[in-house]
Amino acid sequence: MGTLALTDIRLADQNLDTLPLLESLRQTCFSAKAEVCIERARHITTFLRDRANPDEPMEIRYARAVNHFLANKLPLFFDDSLLAGTTTSKPFGAPVYPELTGLTIWPELDTMSTREKNPQFISREDADELNFNVFPYWMERNILEATRAREGNPACMKLFERIVFFIASKAGTISHTVPCYTTALERGLEWLIAEAARHEQMLAARESRPSEASEQLNFFRAIQIALKGVVAYASCLSAKAAALAKQETNSVRKKNLEIMSSVCARVPAKPARNFREAINGLWILQIAIHAESINMAISPGRLDQILFPWYKRDSANGKLTVKEAMELVGCLWLKLNDNTNLVPETGEELFGGAGTVPAVTVGGINEDGEDAVNDLTYIMLRVTELLKTRDPSLNARYHLEKNSTRYRDRVAEVVAATKSVPAFYNDIAAIKTLENQGIATRDARDYAIIGCVELSAAGRSYDASSSIMLNLVSALELALYNGKRPITGDEQIGPVTGAAESFRSFEEFWEAFTTQLRWLVDEAVKLNEMMGKTHQEYLPTPLLSALFEGPMEKGKDLIFGGACYNSSGATHIGFADTVDSLNAIEQGVFLDRKCTFAQLLAAMARNFEGDAALHAYLVNRTPKYGSEEPIAIKNSRNLLRFLYETYQEYTNYRGGKYRPAYWTMTNHAGQGKLSGPLPNGRKAYRIFASGITPVSQAATDLAACLNAVGGIDALHIPGGEAFNLKYSVIKDRDDLHKFSQAIEAYFRTGGLHIQFNIMSYETLIDAKAHPENYPELLVRVSGYSAYFKDLNEAMKDEIITRTAYDLKTGKSVLFPQQHKGMLPHE
Amino acid sequence: MPNDLMLQSAIKNFSNCLSSEFAEDFLQVLLGLMAVVFILDHDFRKNIERFSGRYQFKSKDGHITVAALFKDNRLEVREEEIPDPDVTIFFKDGKALMGYLLTPKPDILGSMLRQEVSLDGNLNYLYKFAFMAKRLQLMVTESF
Repeated sequence: MGTLALTDIRLADQNLDTLPLLESLRQTCFSAKAEVCIERARHITTFLRDRANPDEPMEIRYARAVNHFLANKLPLFFDDSLLAGTTTSKPFGAPVYPELTGLTIWPELDTMSTREKNPQFISREDADELNFNVFPYWMERNILEATRAREGNPACMKLFERIVFFIASKAGTISHTVPCYTTALERGLEWLIAEAARHEQMLAARESRPSEASEQLNFFRAIQIALKGVVAYASCLSAKAAALAKQETNSVRKKNLEIMSSVCARVPAKPARNFREAINGLWILQIAIHAESINMAISPGRLDQILFPWYKRDSANGKLTVKEAMELVGCLWLKLNDNTNLVPETGEELFGGAGTVPAVTVGGINEDGEDAVNDLTYIMLRVTELLKTRDPSLNARYHLEKNSTRYRDRVAEVVAATKSVPAFYNDIAAIKTLENQGIATRDARDYAIIGCVELSAAGRSYDASSSIMLNLVSALELALYNGKRPITGDEQIGPVTGAAESFRSFEEFWEAFTTQLRWLVDEAVKLNEMMGKTHQEYLPTPLLSALFEGPMEKGKDLIFGGACYNSSGATHIGFADTVDSLNAIEQGVFLDRKCTFAQLLAAMARNFEGDAALHAYLVNRTPKYGSEEPIAIKNSRNLLRFLYETYQEYTNYRGGKYRPAYWTMTNHAGQGKLSGPLPNGRKAYRIFASGITPVSQAATDLAACLNAVGGIDALHIPGGEAFNLKYSVIKDRDDLHKFSQAIEAYFRTGGLHIQFNIMSYETLIDAKAHPENYPELLVRVSGYSAYFKDLNEAMKDEIITRTAYDLKTGKSVLFPQQHKGMLPHE
Repeated sequence: MPNDLMLQSAIKNFSNCLSSEFAEDFLQVLLGLMAVVFILDHDFRKNIERFSGRYQFKSKDGHITVAALFKDNRLEVREEEIPDPDVTIFFKDGKALMGYLLTPKPDILGSMLRQEVSLDGNLNYLYKFAFMAKRLQLMVTESF
């Protein structure tokens, strides 16, 4: 059993009235406008350009750059938070990472402050600094261009730049990981620095050194340099807090600043002695990682487990009340919202609304296989319920044999209250899936979620879980059009697999489809490997490596395979649309012979204009993924198995396997807008379904849908899945009970993940029409949460049209007929 | 022609082009204005100090082949194919290119669907060029 001392796990007596600090900080958070922060870009660039010794290996040079930035990073205190430290120099900052995709905002420096959608403010002075001083240095040096130059502008890169086949995320990020904060908090960075120095000295003293000794020595030195930067930043925070305290006349603020000064003088350099030190130390480490790695899905992990020893000790000693713990957790939650991604206008149009997705995981079992739910789990759930902020992305693990139904019901209640968070994970399926990837049982049991939905052996596995985003519909179209796609015209893109009209059986078409898909996967993997090599050359990660198990022992940076486990994630867009199209072809062309392949393609070329009967047949009479029709089940599972087996044949540049996944962020909306009509009756340029979710309005029976998705073999989805389910409303205790039981039933069929939006079609349609009335409406997108108002129009439509179920009847709710034009097949 | 008259003439051409329905000469007009402003405006010229870049613009119908060469704080425009460009921009027509570089709300999806603009080479060079074009547009707009 987990440790429970709370008398009321709902913590009903704590709310935003009793926690006025959180209410005040929350209001500030919601009213903050995004500003571009150039602080890191300026320091890193000027250091590498003007001060770094080019003769030093990159591992050392980059560590010095990180140290330089952290040591010079401004210690800022914008509000009354109990935690010291800010990710950027702005209250709500979008940091620029010019070594990745920062230069994409170059054309918009003069206009992004005033753009219509999600403007990000930048002063003329900062814009000029980027234009004249920062960006020119990186023109040949960012990951994309350094790769292009080294590899000679390879075909796979040109394919990526068409955007409509796959996205090679390494151009913009690796990040996407769960570090191990425990050691740094328990022992302090000074201990880690000493440990790196000890390894360095031992290696230097060895008479016969391994061939890689030079790299290892550099790595140990780099860790020390980078971590000293973190300590320097904490010292600056301490000094600044002390100075501000001296000037402060408000006694509460003065006291808080004094405590923060004392906390930062202690952590993260030395072991945390109490809950406040542990939580602030963790926050400073989270900030520090962003000095090195971009702010995309750096996920703090199982915080109810990591922080529990300090909570338990302070509570037992009467030094910490539940209210105080909630305030500190709440401050951390709000601090995790202090930064956002830098997004150019094109990005907003294609993929807008995404946050930085620092995922926090709670609940589940511990390394010994026992219930890990504790008081802090419930505190974190209550804080999430009260704050309802976009980040952190909260994920609740649930082990149906070890965790109590009381816990499950409480998580369900929080989902009902927030309408969208947390997401649920099935421990049994997730642990088995990780074990199947070679993760030791104890490590698998300690898994945490990265970013959207990706599974990770926390602090031990470096997963680069967002390496590839592959559009499955593009492979389908390549098979339909003999290696070409309508959007790319007459250009031969994929292999010649034959005209669709020539296929005499579904098996022949499947062969063509998988040939195109295998080719596309190969191109995407090829480019990922090239970019991985560029990351190794240009962007080592000694700071992050110090916060992992493995690198110190192996003497190897994470980017070179230093972690205990390694993998690369490849996620897929358009899964349900592809499966339904395969179903339609098999049933319509080959079984029912409702039309020939030529007739189907001709109807698609007309976007089904004048083909009402055939279109109605395709939409209403062919098997749908999300139902229990055998063809739909066969094709969905065959596709998952094919992708699993294909990816697992590759070994990445760090020695790990590729893991297929099915989460789409907002890419299913953008890619849908770029794709022509499909055999399942989806009309041209309509959004695709999200993640592994059935096509909107295609699966009308809730139980069948849960069985179909839950019945998928989770072993074939080692990268994680996003299954989005929508309920119109949870009205009463009976609904809540049914809601919670449906989760249990889904997990008993083997389902890996499930997340919800509890809102009706009408509410969402009204929110689209009147965003001013819904400033805080939080929705679950495809693995992460977003404010509905921030999403682009296509993404709003996708969330509106997702099938909504009635908990009482278990059937889909009729979509408002006056808005049916939004549906994919209309 | 005196400098200010040259500038006024180039600005007028550019403004006409921006408001024209077809914008056939957009690229030539843009590069012409750029070249003049680089000479006359010190602040704008800072954009190309120590900058060396070779741009190739090609219309998809093959009728327009223009090179923009930035070197020694100057812009040289040639109507020819150049070897080893840093980036090549293929565009359907002047209007498509104008929309791609200057429109306040770029229709990227539409542009892709219509296959109006495609690129080959170092994208950062395009980003820099697009910034200069946009700033020039703002300078011109503000000057009226």
